[in-house]
Amino acid sequence: MKKISIDPITRLEGHGKIEIFLNDEGDVVNTYFQIPELRGFEKFCEGRPVEEMPRIVPRICGV
Amino acid sequence: MAKLKLALYWAGACGGCDVAVLDVNEKILDVANLADIVFWPIALDFKYHHVEAMPDKSIDVCLFNGCVRSSEQEHIAKLLRNKSQVLVAFGSCACFGGIPALANFATRAEIMERAYIEAPSNENPNKTLPQIKFKVDEGELTLPELYDDVLTLAQVVPVEYFVPGCPPTVDLILKVVNALATNSLPPVGAVIASEKTLCDECDRKKENKKITKIYRTHEIIPDPEKCLLEQGLLCMGSATRGGCGSLCVKVNIPCRGCFGPPAGVADQGAKLVSAVASIYETKGTEDIEKMVNEVVDPAGTFYRFGMSSSMLKRKHLQRK
Amino acid sequence: MKAARRIPLLKKMLSQFGIEDKRLMLDWVSASEGDRFASIVNEVTEQVRALGPLNWNQGGKHG
Repeated sequence: MKKISIDPITRLEGHGKIEIFLNDEGDVVNTYFQIPELRGFEKFCEGRPVEEMPRIVPRICGV
Repeated sequence: MAKLKLALYWAGACGGCDVAVLDVNEKILDVANLADIVFWPIALDFKYHHVEAMPDKSIDVCLFNGCVRSSEQEHIAKLLRNKSQVLVAFGSCACFGGIPALANFATRAEIMERAYIEAPSNENPNKTLPQIKFKVDEGELTLPELYDDVLTLAQVVPVEYFVPGCPPTVDLILKVVNALATNSLPPVGAVIASEKTLCDECDRKKENKKITKIYRTHEIIPDPEKCLLEQGLLCMGSATRGGCGSLCVKVNIPCRGCFGPPAGVADQGAKLVSAVASIYETKGTEDIEKMVNEVVDPAGTFYRFGMSSSMLKRKHLQRK
Repeated sequence: MKAARRIPLLKKMLSQFGIEDKRLMLDWVSASEGDRFASIVNEVTEQVRALGPLNWNQGGKHG
């Protein structure tokens, strides 16, 4: 089975890659979209003062 | 002069640094006249295999933003290092770890647990976590390995210049572009910003007053003319490099140190502990206890953008 | 007096880094209190010895 990788996905905000699997006829069998990144805002915002959140969470996405 | 070859990349980042490059507005045309962009995921369609196919050192300048915290980001950092003559750590994440480096207060396992299992927006009854390799019917899928530590770019590869800021300001970006255009780059290792502290550049009036209470930012509306620290707000200006144009303090918001430590300061947080302890007036141990309680989150505030480059680098893990 | 404020604040910060309270101590000893100085130093040395070394290498890329 042939695999086409689109890595990285471009012209958008964020990190991603797409794997496309083709059969012998060249038709698409399945496609997987993956996010190869994690920063962990869910975790590291814990313990920070609540009034600091407006200065931390904008860095989830700067676009 | 032949056009320069310019690459831009984001590792563990939010995209704000890339947008900051576009914030130069019409000056982006000067950049286009000066350089051909050969790699820039947010804006152009070049893939990793295009970069891999380039001859070594064929990129003149690479502006690398974002921290390094996965095997993919380390791989691309090394790839771009090999392909580039000048590698610039662009923005606070690449320079010092930035906001993502606050993750150094936790472990990879804790982050995964929180993000994919505990967080209330999840529906994950089987407690599935991302896998480095995963077999599907059609073949195998792979993901990069997430590291336990958030690293700066310079902790992974040698770096020529540092452009701090979250994000770097338009003035600084134009300073870099002008230096490239006129072939007048500073000595290797230079931080392209001010040599002074933010305090030195701040217009607010300092009266060398002592404080007896530290306020949290929502508790008072500060006087716009006077030093924020002397009004009891934790402002990082005394241990932060200038060059940002005092953006935050000009709008009555205390500095959080995104330009990193100034020249001669080895550890930004330690310097700030010293600064706060110096300005706070106490009469006895009760006052000292009060001060300590009023600084709610010293490590998360004093190393807001600089955990990776701090002396301790991360939370010391639990011993088994 | 600055040290009297610095050390407790530093201790709070170090605790966020997971560094044990007993690794850092501030006390005041006069030049005439040689015995007391020696006993404090011995006490702290024993405390730190009991805690054992900081396992710096437990972090790193791969935990």
